[in-house]
Amino acid sequence: MLTAVVIRSGEVLQVRLVSAEEGKEVDLTECSFEPEASNPTECGPGPSPIIPEMKELAWGAGSFIVFALLMRFFLFPRLKKGMDSRYNSIREGHENAEATRTSARSEVAQYDAAVVAAKAEAAKVVDAARATLETERQAAITAANARIAAQREAAMAAADAARAAGRSQVESAVVDVVSSAVEIATGKRPDGSAVSRAVADAMSAGVR
Amino acid sequence: MIALEFPPINEILRWKDLFPTFNKIALIAVAAALIGTVVFLLAGRKDAKVAPKGVRNFAESIVEFIENGIIMQTMGRDGLGWTPFLLSLFSFIYLCNVPGIIPFLQMPATARMALPLFLSLLVWVVFIVTGFKHQGLAYIKNSLFPPGVPKALYLLVTPIEFISTFLVRPFSLTVRLFANMLAGHILLVTFALLSEALFQAEGNPALIPVGVLPLFMLIFLTGFEVLVAFLQAYIFTILTAVYIGGAAHPEH
Amino acid sequence: MEAIAALAALTGDEAKAASAAGSAGFAYGLAAIGPGIGIGYLVGKSVEAMARQPEAAGMVRTTMFLGIAFTEALALIGFVVFILIGL
Repeated sequence: MLTAVVIRSGEVLQVRLVSAEEGKEVDLTECSFEPEASNPTECGPGPSPIIPEMKELAWGAGSFIVFALLMRFFLFPRLKKGMDSRYNSIREGHENAEATRTSARSEVAQYDAAVVAAKAEAAKVVDAARATLETERQAAITAANARIAAQREAAMAAADAARAAGRSQVESAVVDVVSSAVEIATGKRPDGSAVSRAVADAMSAGVR
Repeated sequence: MIALEFPPINEILRWKDLFPTFNKIALIAVAAALIGTVVFLLAGRKDAKVAPKGVRNFAESIVEFIENGIIMQTMGRDGLGWTPFLLSLFSFIYLCNVPGIIPFLQMPATARMALPLFLSLLVWVVFIVTGFKHQGLAYIKNSLFPPGVPKALYLLVTPIEFISTFLVRPFSLTVRLFANMLAGHILLVTFALLSEALFQAEGNPALIPVGVLPLFMLIFLTGFEVLVAFLQAYIFTILTAVYIGGAAHPEH
Repeated sequence: MEAIAALAALTGDEAKAASAAGSAGFAYGLAAIGPGIGIGYLVGKSVEAMARQPEAAGMVRTTMFLGIAFTEALALIGFVVFILIGL
């Protein structure tokens, strides 16, 4: 097992590898080391890590106080003003949107009401038209019925007249036939009025 | 077995002055304040009306984080006036922490005692002044003699309260920030040196590939330090908020 | 064994530095035990609370970070002592 002993003294970095078991040097290498500071006399042993240095304290305090005062009186108020104005405009935008939405809602409600009214109007008109149509139809139907009835009566009257005419013709013919028959049978001409009365009786009985 | 002589701690904190009284830490602190100013300046110049993007979005998300993630959780709505102070505290500490992992800078400014000490003393002064402003002299009474404790116990409670409120708070704020960042820095230095020493072990070529292992650890720790830089800035800010909130409103 | 033998071979300032380095390591190691257990317990309990009540996760997380900060301070004081002894 080897022990590497690295010793850094000023410009020289020494690396010695020592075998730990025997404690005797195996290899000795020296390599020159280029420090960052070109002039090593300028850096002394280095500052104490704990004790604050006055120059650092002064520069740090000065820069922080300047920064804090700038922030307090100039930088932050400007930034905050911008932020606040934007937030306010956003809030206003939200409120406007809300107002627009409510007005739109009320308009929609108005529209709905108008639609309902129009529908009711249309229904009324349709109903009225339907009622008018119905009455007209009823009137037409009654007129037609009346005409039909009148025509039927006329036809029936014509038929009755025709039947009566036919009957009177049949009766006169029958009276003639009967008078001729009676003349042949009895040799003398029967009383015309009696014959016609008898025929009329018989016929009316026969018809019945 | 490898024995690596680690350089003394003050040697890894050594750098030369850029000019007298101005060194790397001062440079990082000034740069942090400048970068913070420039970021918020650019953010404020953008048009506020349109949806934020780029630098404005970034700055506004930090502000939202301070307001919702820190102040509302600890101080409530009354503490919103502290946003600029806490915002500058958070930004400054974060920007001072982050150079710990930026190549060529490789030094968190808060890993030196000066900055954490100054910031926590400032916070200490601020919360004590806030306490007197909000409660008057009753602040001393409320913080040293908490109500609801039997009279005899004040002999024990008052010194403890005094030490924990007025001495331990600034001390622990300082040490927490300083030691976390210094520990991270030392870890990075350790693994970098280990990896360097193994890569340069010319006497034993078998050791050279082994140097990859600390190199991977170094990469992992660099990622870890990003998290630590944020977390320490967050913890410092939230503790400040807790202290100021506690001073503004006495516990009942 | 070899380390103790090597220590015995040292004299004066070297022995002092060696024992300082050793005790610095012990100081930090001992200081890390308690906070390690504490932070583990704290975070475990916080995760339990967050799992049980996800709506309170933000508050629990804030409190968790505060608790970690207070607990961690002990370990960090150990670290500072480690630096102070090692100087």
